[in-house]
Amino acid sequence: MKRVKRDASGVVDAPLDTRTQARAKEDRLPSLENGRLQTYASGDNVGRFLDLLGRRITRSLAVSMTACVHCGLCAESCHYFLARPDDPTMTPVWKADQIRKIFKKHVDWTGRIAPWWVRAASPHGDEDLNRLKNVVFGSCSACRRCTYNCPMGVDTGLLVRFTRGLLTELGIVPEGVFNVSRDEWETGNQMAVTEQDYLETLEWMRDELRTELGTPNVDIPVDKPDCDVLYTINPREIKFDPRSIAHAAKVFHAAGESWTMPKWGWDQTNFGLFSGDDKLGGYVARNVYEAAERLRAKRIVISECGHGYRSTRWEGYNWAGYDQKLPTESVVVTLKRYLEEGRIAVDPARNPEAVTFHDSCNIARSGDLVEEPREVLRRVCADFREMFPNRRENFCCTGGGGLLSMAEYRPLRLEVAKIKADQLRATGAKFVCTMCHNCVDGLSDVIKHYKLPMRVVQVLELVSNALVVPARTK
Amino acid sequence: MPHIEVDGKRIEVNEEGFLAHPEEWSEATAGLLAKAEEGLAELTDAHWAVVKFIREYYLEKNLAPMVRKMCQATGFSLMQIYDLFPSGPAKGACKVAGLPKPDGCV
Amino acid sequence: MSDLLKFVENEVQLAALAFLAVVYAARLIWIFRFRSRKERTFAAGSGAEGVGYSLMNVAMPWAMESTRKRPGFYAQFVVFHLGVVAAITATFIIPYAPGVFRIRAVATVFQAVMASAFLAGLLRLVRRLTNPVLRLVSSADDYLSLVLMILFFAAGVLAVPNAYEKAEWPLILFFGLTAFFLVYVPFSKICHYLYYPFTRFYLGRSMGHRGAFPRRRKAGIQVSGPVKEDRA
Repeated sequence: MKRVKRDASGVVDAPLDTRTQARAKEDRLPSLENGRLQTYASGDNVGRFLDLLGRRITRSLAVSMTACVHCGLCAESCHYFLARPDDPTMTPVWKADQIRKIFKKHVDWTGRIAPWWVRAASPHGDEDLNRLKNVVFGSCSACRRCTYNCPMGVDTGLLVRFTRGLLTELGIVPEGVFNVSRDEWETGNQMAVTEQDYLETLEWMRDELRTELGTPNVDIPVDKPDCDVLYTINPREIKFDPRSIAHAAKVFHAAGESWTMPKWGWDQTNFGLFSGDDKLGGYVARNVYEAAERLRAKRIVISECGHGYRSTRWEGYNWAGYDQKLPTESVVVTLKRYLEEGRIAVDPARNPEAVTFHDSCNIARSGDLVEEPREVLRRVCADFREMFPNRRENFCCTGGGGLLSMAEYRPLRLEVAKIKADQLRATGAKFVCTMCHNCVDGLSDVIKHYKLPMRVVQVLELVSNALVVPARTK
Repeated sequence: MPHIEVDGKRIEVNEEGFLAHPEEWSEATAGLLAKAEEGLAELTDAHWAVVKFIREYYLEKNLAPMVRKMCQATGFSLMQIYDLFPSGPAKGACKVAGLPKPDGCV
Repeated sequence: MSDLLKFVENEVQLAALAFLAVVYAARLIWIFRFRSRKERTFAAGSGAEGVGYSLMNVAMPWAMESTRKRPGFYAQFVVFHLGVVAAITATFIIPYAPGVFRIRAVATVFQAVMASAFLAGLLRLVRRLTNPVLRLVSSADDYLSLVLMILFFAAGVLAVPNAYEKAEWPLILFFGLTAFFLVYVPFSKICHYLYYPFTRFYLGRSMGHRGAFPRRRKAGIQVSGPVKEDRA
């Protein structure tokens, strides 16, 4: 029998770090005072956890708890287990069981009467809750690849998110999760970008674009009412790399689009997806929907971001309790439309190197876009090639689920990224294109760590490169 | 905690290669970080202009400067900053300047 | 036939079935008491089509990477569950339509199916005892359910000839186990067949609504430039 290496990753033992929580309490942040942001306090956290579990569980989650028959088919669908085949604690079934056993003990039938029979168990004290936090935040990117491979249809990815949400309510979260949640509550965006920084960066990109195109007629309008398109972005585009905003503006200009960006409600990303906090998710998403309503836009367009797309196009409406009124689409779909309608002209020879495409979990598995980016890439690249597996069976970039903000789990994440590295290497491509900013960073980390001779690009950059003399100028 | 060796001293870095204790930064540390993390054999005057600006901004405001401010202060365009620091302003330049890792899902 | 066998074949079964029905009804009420979330987004596909595709998952081994990679395991699954169907059918045929099993061919088919399921069950038990992942997660319920099913198939093979004049014990064992299962199943993992429609429904509806189910390739994609052959 094979020797089993349990918990050898050490991830389960990462301690709870509450330093920034303490600082937030000292600073008496508004979102703490009004109960939006939660911090850790000693007390009966297990009791509160169990109470939350009972109150928040939905029907679809409850049946995912009960339906698992421990068949183990999910094991080989998970990149954590594939990279560490001697560590059964990396399997989806084991990870899901960490919350399932609590459900069985406190909500289900048999587990309440004879817990030992079905291995139902309660967490004992905050140490167990901390270990649970390490399992659901640190050894899983919630990519839902296991969900797609379960014969029963158990949604382990959603169970992980659900558990994260319970722990977030108790402040038992990795420090990075608290910090980003705090920033998003306090400033309305994930990276604490101020309104001034936002507006100045847009002006800067507008000026650079005017220089590049040699015309004063290109603009990045802010808060312009009655436009066709409301364009929303990832704060990363303001803080670290605004070139993508310039790419988008260039394409909108070439297509003669009537568009604007909102002054408030411009963040399409949503940390509530990763922290499991539906309140935060609803708050951020609602900002976008209300901006569109306020400006009477006809369509909401989301810049390239995986979790942002899933959160703003799909989950956000449900979290916010807001019925969808306007078409909400990814900018890649907008690009596809421009190409099909001939509103922009492209020359694929301007992207001559081999490009492969990485399907993002939140867009392909938890969303609807699989062929659309390919239809765009085939028109703007001379040499497009698939990786294997691809589409909904692709492997996570390994940086998903918010892992990029959690430094303590990075060593394990990079170790299991071997699966992704092998996949990338096999394509022989120079560029890997992805529709998600998280994947850009996740894949960049993989490329750097495994020394792959590749660079990550996004669809907008490739389209912008391939853009020919604009079809029409204003 | 992983670490790097500078002039015989052990400097701690966190898992992402950012300085664990930003106070321990020195020009020698910057050189080593640039080599280890950015693959830069040496830092030119252009690199130093960016690094010095970031460091001063951080020491004064306890924040990482927005990339726009970096460009304004140094006169470099965004493209040039990416040419100098392949990992970009946040992960590349700020790291070499000894700042702690920026928050956010980056 | 002794009175005991008649009682075990009939009254005991009916009582156990009645108990099962009551408990299942309670279980369904329990499931429906959990709240369901309202969907507020425009569709990118059909929730109904997604549900259909999702429910058919059990019959589509090509649809999931896990079953494509483990065809042997899928085959075991089919054989094992066909055995379940055969065994349950037998518990009705023997007391209420015994003539069916007097047809030699029919009885042999049922025995063959249950004997194969018995073997599949043994293979599964070996897997559950030796695979490190399963050893880590399996509970007493997992082990006992499997062991009893293996016994059940064996008893079924022996019971189908319905030769109560020669020996009654295979039939008593078979119907005894049946009654036990009817009472035990709602409290054990074997109840998974009750949950299957629910999990698959919710997953199918959500993914169908988002256009992720069923799997399909769009036809007629415009291509420019050299494209390596791709397989979805």
